[in-house]
Amino acid sequence: MPREVEPSLNEKQFVLQALQENLRLDGREIDQYRPLELTFGDQYGVADVTLGKTRVLAKASAEVTVPYTDRPLDGIFTIATELSPMTSPAFELNRPTETEVLLSRLLEKTVRRSNALDTESLCLIAGQKCWSVRVDVHVLSHDGNLIDAACFAVVAALRHFRKPDTSMEGGVLTVYTPAEREPVPLSWLHSPFCITWSFFGDQGEIALLDATWVEEQIRVASCTISLNRHGEICQIAKLGGTPVDAVALLQCSGVALTKAKEFSTYLDGKLAEDTKKRNKGGLLAELSAENDR
Amino acid sequence: MATANSRPTVLPGDEIDPSLIPQSKNKPLRLGPGLRHIPPNTILPTVAGQLITLPHKSSMWVEYNSNRYTPTASDLIIGTILRSGPDFYYVSLSPYTASATLPHLSFEGATKKTRPQLVPGSLVYARVTLANKHMDPELECASASTGKADGLGPLTGGMVFDVSLGFARRLLMGRSRQEGKVEVLELLGGDEGKLSFETAVGRNGKVWVGSENTKTVVIVGRALKETDEKGLGVEAQRKLVRRLVKETR
Amino acid sequence: MASPCATSAPEAALGVLPRSDGSAKYSHAGYTVTASVNGPIEAQRKDENPYEAFVDVIVRPAAGVGGTRERHLESILQSSLSHIILIKNFPRCLIQIVLQIEDTPENDYVNTKLVQASLNFAIMPALFQTAVLALLSAGVPMRATAAATAVAVVPQDGVKKTVVDPSPRDIEIAQSVHVLAFTSHGELLLAESEGDFTVKEWDGIYETAKKTCCHSTPAKDGMEMVLDEEASAGPDMRHFLRSTMESKVAADLYWK
Repeated sequence: MPREVEPSLNEKQFVLQALQENLRLDGREIDQYRPLELTFGDQYGVADVTLGKTRVLAKASAEVTVPYTDRPLDGIFTIATELSPMTSPAFELNRPTETEVLLSRLLEKTVRRSNALDTESLCLIAGQKCWSVRVDVHVLSHDGNLIDAACFAVVAALRHFRKPDTSMEGGVLTVYTPAEREPVPLSWLHSPFCITWSFFGDQGEIALLDATWVEEQIRVASCTISLNRHGEICQIAKLGGTPVDAVALLQCSGVALTKAKEFSTYLDGKLAEDTKKRNKGGLLAELSAENDR
Repeated sequence: MATANSRPTVLPGDEIDPSLIPQSKNKPLRLGPGLRHIPPNTILPTVAGQLITLPHKSSMWVEYNSNRYTPTASDLIIGTILRSGPDFYYVSLSPYTASATLPHLSFEGATKKTRPQLVPGSLVYARVTLANKHMDPELECASASTGKADGLGPLTGGMVFDVSLGFARRLLMGRSRQEGKVEVLELLGGDEGKLSFETAVGRNGKVWVGSENTKTVVIVGRALKETDEKGLGVEAQRKLVRRLVKETR
Repeated sequence: MASPCATSAPEAALGVLPRSDGSAKYSHAGYTVTASVNGPIEAQRKDENPYEAFVDVIVRPAAGVGGTRERHLESILQSSLSHIILIKNFPRCLIQIVLQIEDTPENDYVNTKLVQASLNFAIMPALFQTAVLALLSAGVPMRATAAATAVAVVPQDGVKKTVVDPSPRDIEIAQSVHVLAFTSHGELLLAESEGDFTVKEWDGIYETAKKTCCHSTPAKDGMEMVLDEEASAGPDMRHFLRSTMESKVAADLYWK
């Protein structure tokens, strides 16, 4: 496998030196995210997120299948993240690297375990048929902070997605095709976002948000906080690295809440914009059963 | 001023108008990058770009921009030391490609006892001495004939920035201001910016910027990257320099 | 969701991925594919060839995991692209091409099946075209450019109609579907077919595909394309390729 390139000593020393003087290479503030852009595809459930030079595409899809035997009343929800050489030639298919495993685990904990998507609502016939919702995350370009971008893309894709409408008549399940009946949105409970802090310096005293690839290579520790706009924390992950002062960590989570609210407002705005674009004379607004939480 | 027809855009495999090929009686025709010769008489472009011909020098090439460097002899490059072998340093010119070798003694005034000891991760400014498709490239930091460095050697401190190959070529042009239309560096060092810094440009798409002031290096780096990525003309470069200097003052 | 008109013009954007050596996003007839090209870079020991570069093609579907169909497409693309890339210039190197399918035209009459993400045969021209555009964007030396198109023989009102860029509905009811690619020198590079057809039909399809891929740009006024009654004239791929690259070169060399 071609080795991942390491930045030169000059680069490492310089970035650290600049951070100690409160300077970032691209002129951002310490707690400033790169310009975040979200575009929805023509099909429902496709979200393309650009965070500076990092680009992530998430696609949500659903099909009818048999539920797990130990959970007959729940639907199936999976998030698949497979990094390909498109992300960077250092990544190989079918050989998960640490980055990939961490990304997949964090998305699991943030979106699945926090019950952002109500899996009970995916059940069609208890024990026999249920919806299996699947989100595929494709990282098209990697310039740092995959976790935040990927989480945002997953949440956006799921909120944008529409599954085919179904009806139950006398024990017979009918699944309508998009041509027969307009698809319906998923039952969404809350929108979690990941905010990743990176720490630098011997005591991890310098903290910043949204590290670029170069900054990620130099950081001594990182902490990902997942929370929604109500301040409900889904998980906090600081996996090893230099110990960081506890008070600093509390301050970081405070800022994280502000960022989560910003993300939430942005996402809501984009979804509304998209609905308006697709709306044909206000009909869709009447039919919408989306939970306004 | 060249008309559009004399500098056509060519795609790989396109036929070249025979009237464009320089016909010189005494000088052999020299083919630059982007062209390949199929004996006896066919010349075909291999990349998409603009065909440039210089009849008075009897040479032609295709001008194009890309991001992946292929080593060519006598190019000046900035490389990163990967590790040290018994007689050579192994130097990386670009990510994921084969490494180049740099002899331990290929530095000005170096002997076995007094040679520079470079640790992995150091940057060097070197010249490519050997590059062909069958062998790993070879470098030198001091001219083999004169033994002088001429500015080559280890680069300490500062920061290195990635730029596209076309931009690096423009920076290395003898009169980069007129021919390459790159003024940022002059503007930053001159009246607009009044910054003091030094630079080294590598053909492999790397620019090293060194200065005592960290802020200066950051500004120069941002100016270079924005000029390259956004394709700024001279006037826009001037505005960019003004904005950056004002922002960080 | 309405499926877009099959004769809509193709669109392409180059250099969309900032971290790859070359990239392209191409959409046509409802298919959208993004490709990244990295290379020439160092090949792994097992892929190293002492005389030429190894071309590695990876096709990733939008949803679901890739299966045998994707591997089949990869091997077809690999052999055809290896012919136009000058692989002899880079022994022991690797040219890595990753094709990410983003969008396929929806068939509103059928619910999508996921786990067996059986790829539509007609996506191959889009994959091929995106790969060629990404290679041009990366500046990988090539022998010639190439264009590809899909043609289906669809029975309509008892008559067999040749349809260029068939929609999913067309493909469902088609008797045979063919994908052909031609180099800019007019040579046949790729020919894959599925279904029942006679040799005579194939000859006709060959002519239709060649016309689509290798139109020469009309130089004289008054020379109009005669619309064949049987075949619907598709977009002029060669002209499209040229104009896309001309804008890219003009943007790159803005400073001259």
